Amino acid sequence: MADTSLDGPQSLKHLFLIQTGISSLQFIPGHNLRDLESLHLGSNYIASVKLPENFPAKNLKVLDLQNNAIHFLSRKAIESLQPSTNLSLNLNGNDIKGIEPGAFASTVFRSVNFGGTGNLSVIFRGLRNSTVRSLWLGTFEDTDDEDISSDTLKGLCEVSVESVYLQKRRFSGLSPATFRCFTRLRELDLTATHLEEIPPEVGGMNALRKLVLSGNKFDQLCQIHAASFPSLTHLSIKGNRKKLDLGVGCLEKLENLQKLDLSHDDLEAPECCDRQLANLSQLQSLNLSFNEPLGLPSEAFKPCPRLQVLDLAFTRLRVPAPQSPFQGLRLLRVLNLSHCLLDTSNQRLLAGLPRLQHLSLEGNRFRDGSIPALNPLQAVTSLESLALSSCDLSSLHPQAFRGLGKMSRVDLSRNSLTSDSIDALGPLTGLHLDLGANLMRLIPRQRLPILSQQKTINLRHNPLDCTCSNVYFLTWYQENMHRVEDAEKTLCASPPWLRGVRLSEVTLNCGLSPAGIVSLVLFLLLLATALILATKFLLRWKYQHL
Amino acid sequence: MIRVTMSTLLLWTLIACSRGGHGGGEDWPIHRACSSDGLEIFYQSCDPLQDFGFSIDQCSKQLKPNINIRIGLILREDIRELFLDIALVTKGSSILNFSYPICEEDLPKFSFCGRRKGEQFYYAGPINNLGVSIPTGEYQVLLKLYNEKRSTVACANATIICS
Repeated sequence: MADTSLDGPQSLKHLFLIQTGISSLQFIPGHNLRDLESLHLGSNYIASVKLPENFPAKNLKVLDLQNNAIHFLSRKAIESLQPSTNLSLNLNGNDIKGIEPGAFASTVFRSVNFGGTGNLSVIFRGLRNSTVRSLWLGTFEDTDDEDISSDTLKGLCEVSVESVYLQKRRFSGLSPATFRCFTRLRELDLTATHLEEIPPEVGGMNALRKLVLSGNKFDQLCQIHAASFPSLTHLSIKGNRKKLDLGVGCLEKLENLQKLDLSHDDLEAPECCDRQLANLSQLQSLNLSFNEPLGLPSEAFKPCPRLQVLDLAFTRLRVPAPQSPFQGLRLLRVLNLSHCLLDTSNQRLLAGLPRLQHLSLEGNRFRDGSIPALNPLQAVTSLESLALSSCDLSSLHPQAFRGLGKMSRVDLSRNSLTSDSIDALGPLTGLHLDLGANLMRLIPRQRLPILSQQKTINLRHNPLDCTCSNVYFLTWYQENMHRVEDAEKTLCASPPWLRGVRLSEVTLNCGLSPAGIVSLVLFLLLLATALILATKFLLRWKYQHL
Repeated sequence: MIRVTMSTLLLWTLIACSRGGHGGGEDWPIHRACSSDGLEIFYQSCDPLQDFGFSIDQCSKQLKPNINIRIGLILREDIRELFLDIALVTKGSSILNFSYPICEEDLPKFSFCGRRKGEQFYYAGPINNLGVSIPTGEYQVLLKLYNEKRSTVACANATIICS
């Protein structure tokens, strides 16, 4: 590359030189890189992070050197990065074998990634007295590495760090001592670290706000001994490798917990979640999706009155009929009940949710494939978006959405609805309406005003009729292209010669103008007269020649 | 020399036959991923844009857990997130379908996670599979690697012959 090869751009911010075969940072012409924010140099043969002299690194925020051949970090090399403050340095996939003592001492890093490094003691020794906000020390399935002992982790006591990630590492002899140097951490990620238990009496973890224990092997939630982490606001234990038992009050000491993720854990409970979530009064977001069946009685989430987001997707819910499991969730805004196999005939199902804005009932069934006039939706009058796709619906009662005046988004796609169901949308205006993949064929004239009062309409993948019997709709469609979505997937299904043609491209000549009718009548009269005259002439001619 | 010629001829016939079966010379060649101990695995790339190289180190009817594979291809997409879909069919009926995350934002399982579009990618290492004993028969397997945008990273039509 010539010295001036990157000259020209006024403010070049991102440069990708991944796998370009370079072996030294000296190859990069630095003249015009004053504004550079990210430099990506992965998968090369670079052995040192030392930037060339006069390289303008002042604005550099990301230096990505993953999968290179860097084995040693010298003090000089790290100092060359110094003009940049708050740098994210990625050394993932470089097996670091040595760091000069004090190399990191004078520079503040936003994050450093040492992923896949075999020996963590080297890293901790090298980082002594440094400040790194986030430190990624995870490893991988295909990397050989030593188990980490409490002795190794001692090094962490001498680094000023907020977040530590230790994915896939293995601890030897887990004991309270293992956690001794984690006491100043705000975030700790122990994803897939083969944990079966967190030892009780881990002390001093008062600063920890976020803890990730996903992909481990706990039998019971109580085995995490949550009392050791009293200040937690975020806890994630998803994808547990064993069936997780929620126990009773296992998290009751986490009075500040705001966000809890217990998805993909094979959780199963005949009666949830009053005792299981006891004392989580500050909880705002709860994820229980992708679990085994849960039984929800009335006021199932009573211990968490501040919940704003509740995700139960793909978890079968058993709600005995007139119970209202969500009663009392006065602040709940988002509720995901997709594929929960709910009993939708329960009128009281959604009672007690005065602030609910977003509701998904995707993949649930209604009796006889129809939403009746009296249905559980009428209890949630504040609703703004509603998903009812894949519900096997074949009709909607004209009064089905009565009282839901605040709605701005309705998804009715992937059902078997015909144009009769459009009447149910009569009371609603200004909607983003999705009617894709239904059985809309003919849409009669009197239903077009209901479509006209909406903001956007999606009719993709419907067996739409493009004959003269649907001419009013076709005319409406072409006049309302500005509110149509996915026009390239909105195609004719009949007549056969128009199958697959976009609705927007169809021109029909249906009906006749008054002038046309007059000339047709005149033409017919003329024809009749000619016929009579011809017959008369023929008969006369025949008799004359008898 | 004769053995080499014979085996080349055999392989050529095999490829030629199967190409005829697919009705055209547009398909990628069929490669052998492994063959030993009563187990033979052939595959063909079903990504119209490129072929790829793949082999299995220890091939056996008694498939050991955590076997080593080798795979080489050019990445058409970033693989910060990467998923694998497997569909197993025998005698025209589907036996098994599953989807497995290989790279995720919050859990990159392998060292190659996070590589970028355009990189030449070579992986030789374990795949963390379960040990199974494969019953005698012929199986068709469709494997798809794709990222979070559902863009294809690799696609293979494989045939497993267990005798």
